[in-house]
Amino acid sequence: MNILGFDTSGPASAACVLRSDGKAFEHEPRPEALTAPPAHARELMPAIAHCLERARLAFADLDVIAVGVGPGAFTGLRIGVSSARALARARETELRTVSSPAALAAGAGEALSLPLIDAGRGEVFAALFEEGEGRWPPFAADPERVAARVRDEGLDPLATGNGAVRFRDVLEAAGIRVAASGSGTHVVRGLSICRLAAAEPATPPEAVLPDYLRLPDAKPR
Amino acid sequence: MTGCILAIETSCDDTCAAVVTVDGELLSNRIASQGLLHARYGGVVPEVASRRHLEVIDAVTADALEAAGITLADVDTVAVTRGPGLIGALLVGVSSAKALAAARGLPLVPVDHLHGHVVSATLGPDPIEPPYLCLVASGGHTFIGRVEDPAHYTVLGETLDDAAGEAFDKGARLLGLGYPGGPALDRLARTGDAQAFRFPRSAPAELDFSFSGLKTALLYRVRDLGEAEAERRRADLAASFQRAIVDALIARVRQAIVCERLERLAIGGGVAANSELRQAMGDLCDELGVRLWVPPPELCTDNAAMIGAAARFTPALPYPEYLDLDATARLA
Ligand SMILES: [Zn+2]
Repeated sequence: MNILGFDTSGPASAACVLRSDGKAFEHEPRPEALTAPPAHARELMPAIAHCLERARLAFADLDVIAVGVGPGAFTGLRIGVSSARALARARETELRTVSSPAALAAGAGEALSLPLIDAGRGEVFAALFEEGEGRWPPFAADPERVAARVRDEGLDPLATGNGAVRFRDVLEAAGIRVAASGSGTHVVRGLSICRLAAAEPATPPEAVLPDYLRLPDAKPR
Repeated sequence: MTGCILAIETSCDDTCAAVVTVDGELLSNRIASQGLLHARYGGVVPEVASRRHLEVIDAVTADALEAAGITLADVDTVAVTRGPGLIGALLVGVSSAKALAAARGLPLVPVDHLHGHVVSATLGPDPIEPPYLCLVASGGHTFIGRVEDPAHYTVLGETLDDAAGEAFDKGARLLGLGYPGGPALDRLARTGDAQAFRFPRSAPAELDFSFSGLKTALLYRVRDLGEAEAERRRADLAASFQRAIVDALIARVRQAIVCERLERLAIGGGVAANSELRQAMGDLCDELGVRLWVPPPELCTDNAAMIGAAARFTPALPYPEYLDLDATARLA
């Protein structure tokens, strides 16, 4: 089974082709992409094309397209989801969705993982995974509240993600371990998306939408 | 069927897809309007618009293909609006179009939304031929363009502040007509006296427009009249206000026709659906011996057919040159 997986929930575009022979061709996001403004419209499709090229596959050779559906930055999520849906429709390829924090946790290499995706407005999208199983479903909260919840439950997870980098001071002050800066574990990996997709069911393309977790910031008059 | 262009447009609050041929035949034109979705916010909310685009874009595109009697396999070129517009909204269309084109190895044409408005009268059985003048007036833009060759247009004058459609919407809101208020104001104005109130016809330099003073003038007039009297004379206020906008547009177009000495004029944009403007523009063209093209309303308001029309005159980018194409809120 040839799988194309990608994710645009964070600042860097992640993409990977996992070929049927088990070989992975992954686009490694540049570490500086973690702090730069996102540029998924410019980066995602070239990254996908490059992975396919290295794997010597065409779009028509793909069996599954897997996309990270967040939560994360809204515009980035929409770029990923609209691309995934159009790719799947254009070649009638099977489409599967993956939780972006689950993929982040999968790349952390720890039994207890606390993926934190910057949610703007001083908040993070947080979730907790134990041995790959979701223990806390994703929620939006300020880092202090996340830290309090970790402490209340007496846990010792490793925090990763651009939210962990951004709020390192708050988290470490509360006794939470944060992966080293510059570590590849702070970005969602395309390979993680491919691997997690193996356990996901197919979804009709039109039913695939981002997991926004938040309503639009607008008030009815 | 050869030479089919699938066009996608998501620059503001309408999700649009269309199929046109390279010969300018319009095979389908689908629009999923979000108007009512934004009504309760009193204006277009970018995040709400972007979410809605993503929800419906696949269905709208599939519908446009079906209505044209073709499948994706029959599409030769994909065209998409790259700007100007709401960036988050544009990105849904751009991402979708790029992925559709890439997966099928098709060329992609990035289109300037305004170019689309300028060439919408080139579609259909009686296409306008250059050289011609074009007035584009909508909620987002107001300008007069000159077209020597349909691949390009020159802006002769444009609004310095509000767009004409924006002035209509703001006026309608001041008169309690809700959002979007342009069509409601148009209807109300038909029963009022356009001479009842005198509103300013601002005339900035050259062929430019300015509509922000008009809105302020209406605000003061409504305040001076008091609530009860303003309510009683609402139709007169609407008619006088509309007359001021139409007069300003007509005066500039008249000036442009005389200066540029062109014999063909097209109008486009949502304001081109205004009944008084259509009438007045027709009268002006009769007087000056100019032939007028007024596309049907679904080609005046934002639509993807016009993006397909512009794509006919814009160089296509072959695969994979467009993969890094980005949307842009403003075009240089
Ligand atoms: Zn427009």
